[in-house]
Formats: sequence, structure tokens, C-alpha cells
Amino acid sequence: MLFLALKNLVQEKTRLLISVGGVAFSVLLIMSIQGLYQGWSNKIGEYIRTVPADYWITQTGATDMFHTPSVLPLTVGERIATVDGVAAAKPFSGRRVAFEHNGRDINLYVIADDTENNVGAPARVVEGKPVPGKGEIIIDRVVARSENLRIGDSIPLAGRTLKVAGYSEGGYILSFSFAFTTKEDAESILQLPGATNFFLVTVKAGSNAGDVAERIEADPAVDAITKDRFVENNTNIVRDTFLPIILVLLLIGIAVGMTVIGLTIFTSTIEKAREYGVLKAIGVTNLQLYAVVVEQAITAAVLGYLLGAGLALAVSAAAGSYVPEFITEIRWWDAGWIFAVTVAMAVVSSLLPVRRLARIDPAEVFRS
Amino acid sequence: MSVVAVQDVSKTFGTGHTAVAAVEHVSLTVDAGDIVLVMGPSGSGKTTLLSMIGTLMRPTGGRILIAGRDTADLGPSQLSAMRLREFGFVFQTFNLLSALTAEENVMMPLIAAGAGRKQARMKARAALEQLQLGHRLRSLPRDLSGGEKQRVAIARSLANEPRLILADEPTANLDGKTGRDVTLLLCQTACIENRAVIIVSHDQRLRVAAKRVVTIEDGRLTAEEPGEHDQHCRMHAPEPRSHENDR
Ligand SMILES: Nc1ncnc2c1ncn2[C@@H]1O[C@H](COP(=O)(O)OP(=O)(O)OP(=O)(O)O)[C@@H](O)[C@H]1O
Ligand SMILES: [Mg+2]
Repeated sequence: MLFLALKNLVQEKTRLLISVGGVAFSVLLIMSIQGLYQGWSNKIGEYIRTVPADYWITQTGATDMFHTPSVLPLTVGERIATVDGVAAAKPFSGRRVAFEHNGRDINLYVIADDTENNVGAPARVVEGKPVPGKGEIIIDRVVARSENLRIGDSIPLAGRTLKVAGYSEGGYILSFSFAFTTKEDAESILQLPGATNFFLVTVKAGSNAGDVAERIEADPAVDAITKDRFVENNTNIVRDTFLPIILVLLLIGIAVGMTVIGLTIFTSTIEKAREYGVLKAIGVTNLQLYAVVVEQAITAAVLGYLLGAGLALAVSAAAGSYVPEFITEIRWWDAGWIFAVTVAMAVVSSLLPVRRLARIDPAEVFRS
Repeated sequence: MSVVAVQDVSKTFGTGHTAVAAVEHVSLTVDAGDIVLVMGPSGSGKTTLLSMIGTLMRPTGGRILIAGRDTADLGPSQLSAMRLREFGFVFQTFNLLSALTAEENVMMPLIAAGAGRKQARMKARAALEQLQLGHRLRSLPRDLSGGEKQRVAIARSLANEPRLILADEPTANLDGKTGRDVTLLLCQTACIENRAVIIVSHDQRLRVAAKRVVTIEDGRLTAEEPGEHDQHCRMHAPEPRSHENDR
């Protein structure tokens, strides 16, 4: 009976436009926020993945780069280096530091680019010097663009002044971005004399990584966290920030979508009550009639989904090039679950009209 | 075996003081090829009787057998299936689906009965051509004249090759000549294909289309006489013509 559903939809073009538009709006909303969440989650993991380490050694209790501070004396590293199975234990220094620029607070996550140990280099430098010199800093291109900072500009950081020497890429996360200075500058900015924030441990080939970690953790002052786990812990920060927002927008999207489809399908069913009665009289079963209504709702929802998803892709592409912070990634999986939600929305919105349909008395068709 | 056997059927609406006995102890048998015109004043129970025969309403007394099966024994889905395959309905207000073309309206019961689109389209076309509507296949109901609409409705009622066609005041919304022509067309088609027809109407002129005329008054059958079908049906079969004047 799909053809009747389609004909009914096309007959009422205004109504169809309203329901398609309503669904498109909710799909756009849900997909964009999900894309942003995914984009930012990926970004944060992206840099950590480039850092060469099998294990991140943190001060006990610190699980990621942002929440609890982790400060470890360099002597801890020397001790870890002697643990059986450890190939290397290199210090990694990095912490959030804010500065004021044109009256706005800008948050940087300053990382020591330790060229000697080959640790803490930017993932990609796209312009300027690839390695910061003394008194220099490499900042993320996104911040450079949004805060109008140019190569050669000065940045006041922790009582010092650093000169922007280059732009890196892929280090912008939500409210802060990675920045890179020499090891010496970082030590003074981060105030870590004789200390660092983390150690990056690589395990000797042939050693069992788990056993090595256990031996390292014999020191109660440290935790050993696998790289994957550390990436996940850091990504979770984005998730924790975003999940409530996503949930709220998801609910708003679903509410808008369902209201619009529900109302349009319901009014259409009421207007066509007589025609449905005629169909019942001539022997069309209730189930077939329900199918007609549900098919109308689903068709409108699928059209709305296609429009909304198209808009979401277009918006994220366009916004990404104008607003660099707008990093989105729309995965197939997300497109899939949002589609499922859309179809479910249509089915649930049809329940009320279907109930109405069930009550139509076919004998009424003989009354004019 | 009769197509329809109405046995001592009654229908009372409501209970107590407000009870209305719409049909009382009616018995009527209709065989294949019969064309029965049910006449009677307004409120005499014609529509109620037709609704019960059409299984849209259950009697409060008596039995109705359709091709030998007691309708009281059938559940809603069996009744639906019976209406779809055994009955054709024609209504006073045409009751075409407004979103569908003439052709699609006729395809509707075929598709509901499980026919494929192609086959349904072919059958619908043939039916419409038989009713001289070959030139109106793609028209929407709103673009058709009353007579054309009723002929589409007749084509729809014939689509699943039913044993029985039930028509309630099929001419009430048509001018006299058009109404007569359309009814003759219905009866002629049914006659050729040996289908039974029950028409309910006030319209005395429809006697020419009927083989039997029964009268109902205050819910009771009071008379039965032969109609004039045999003298008129073939003679008066309308010529194919353009219908510019029956809008
Ligand atoms: N659903 C109902 N509830 C209560 N009373 C009803 C109902 N349907 C019909 N009646 C009553 O039953 C009687 C017969 O009605 P019916 O519609 O069968 O008459 P009719 O012969 O078709 O009349 P008309 O020629 O005006 O169409 C009338 O008194 C009517 O008011
Ligand atoms: Mg009536």
C-alpha cells in the first residue's frame, strides 16, 4: 500500500514540507552536535597517539593530562629506567597555562619540545619554524587564526615573553590548544625545576609489558597507564563535557521531530478519516491501513533525514573553513544511529493516528 | 446456493426507551444474476439492511448467509477478506480516494487483495474502458464529473470480480439522466458477468434496471414485484458518448 501512502503525502505538499522540514531540523541539530563531539574527541586523542610511549607514568592518582596535576621528580625517571624490561623512560612536561590577549583569556597547553630525547614535538608544523628556539613558541593554527596571532607576535606567559615562531596543526581541543617551547623555557614557565609531569616508558622487545608495568608500579608514588588507556582517559574529558549537551539536544531534536511528524500525520489522518473508512468498508484490513499511515510518517522522516544529514554535512564543511574551532567528524555509525532514531520517531508518532484509525466505523460510509 | 440469504433479520439501535427498530424480521434471498432494487421512504431501514448484508454492521436478530456461510461465524479479518473479494460497494457520495487517479482508485482493491501493480493496472484499465472511461484514466476525482466519478466507483466495485454489488442511492448525487445511464451501465455489466446486485434507492426510474423490486416500510419488507430489467437493460445500454454535459 506504499503507493497510497506516497500519493497521500504528495497530495498535501505544504504538510509534507512542514514535516520534512521539522525532521531535517532535528537531524541537523543532532548530527552537528554529535559531529562536533566526535571531532573534538578525535583531536584530543590524535596528538597523544603521536607521542611515542608504551606507558605513561603519572603521579599516583593522575589519570589524564588535564584533571589532576601530575608532578614527578626527575630522579623517579632515573629509577624507572633501571627497572627490568624498560627500554627508556623519557620526561614529558606539559600543563595548562593561560595568558591574556586583547582582553581575552587564552588557554594553552604548553609542552616542552625536548629535542634531545625526541619527546614533545608538535604533530605537524604547517608554517614557520618546525622546532622552537630559545624564547620562541609554536602555537596551533586554529588559535593563531581565531585570536589573530601572527608569527613574530609576542605572548606573555608566566611572567615571560615568548615570540610566536610557527603554527602547528591538530592540537586544538575545545577550550585550549597545544603549544610548544624549548625544554628550558617550558621548565621555567611550568615551574618544574628538577621535575617533570610524566614519564614516557617504552618496553624492551621481548619483555611482557604487563609485568614491566607491575614492576614500575612497585613504587607507590607512580601509576603506569597504557597508551590506549591514556588516550581514552583524555578523550573522556571531552565526553564528560559533551554528553549532557548532546543528550539535551538529542531530546530537543526528538521532541521537535516527533511533534512535527505527529501533528502532520495526525491532522492528515483526521482529514482523511472518511477515505480510510471507505477503505475499511471495501475490505482493506486495519493492518493495511496502519501500514499506510506508518509509511507516510516514515517516508516524511526519511526525506527529512536526507535533507537534515545533507545540511549537517554542508554546514560542518562550510563552518569548518570559516570557524576553525568547528571541527566535526560525522561517522557512518553516527549517521546510522541517527537514522534509526529518526525512523523510530516516525513510528512512535504514528501510534496516535493509528489508534484513531482503529476507531473508524466503516458503516459510516453509507451516511453522507 | 444463493449469493445472499437474509433470514428473519432485525436490527435495533440502542436499548430501552430510545431503542429504534430499524429493520424487523426481514427475509430476502438474492441469487447470482439477480438485480434487486430496494425501495422505501426515508428512514425505512434501507441503508441499515444494506450495511448488514455488506457485513459492516451485525444484525441483532436473524442470520445472514453469504454464499452459504453464516456471517455471524466470521471474525473481523474474515469479514474484511470477504468484503474485499466477494462484495463491491457503490456509494451515494462516490467516495473515491482524492489523492489517486481514476485508474489508481480502481487498482486499490486489487492491490489490497495482493495483485501486483502491473496486473492491477491492466485490470483497472480494462474495467474503466468497459465503463467508457478509457480517456479519463489519469484524471483525479476532482477533475471528473459526477457521472464519471460514479462510473469510476462502479469500476472499483467490480475490480475484484465480486459475487455481489451493493449500491446505496447511487444516483442521488447525479442528474436524472446521468443517474439512470450509470445505473443501467452497472446493471448491464453485472448482468453480463452474472453478478448479483442490490440497489437501494428512492428513485422510481431505476425500476428499468432491476429484475426485482422490493419495498421496505418501517423496517419491514412489504412487497416484491418484478422489475423492468429484461425489457430495458440491453435496449437502453447507453451509447459511448462524450460526457461534457453531465458535470
Ligand atoms: N447508527 C444508528 N443509530 C441509531 N439509529 C439509527 C442508526 N442508523 C440508522 N438509525 C435509524 O434507523 C432507521 C433506519 O435508518 P436507515 O438509514 O436505514 O434508513 P434509510 O431507509 O436508509 O433512509 P434514507 O432513505 O433517508 O437513507 C432510522 O430511523 C434511523 O434514524
Ligand atoms: Mg439510507
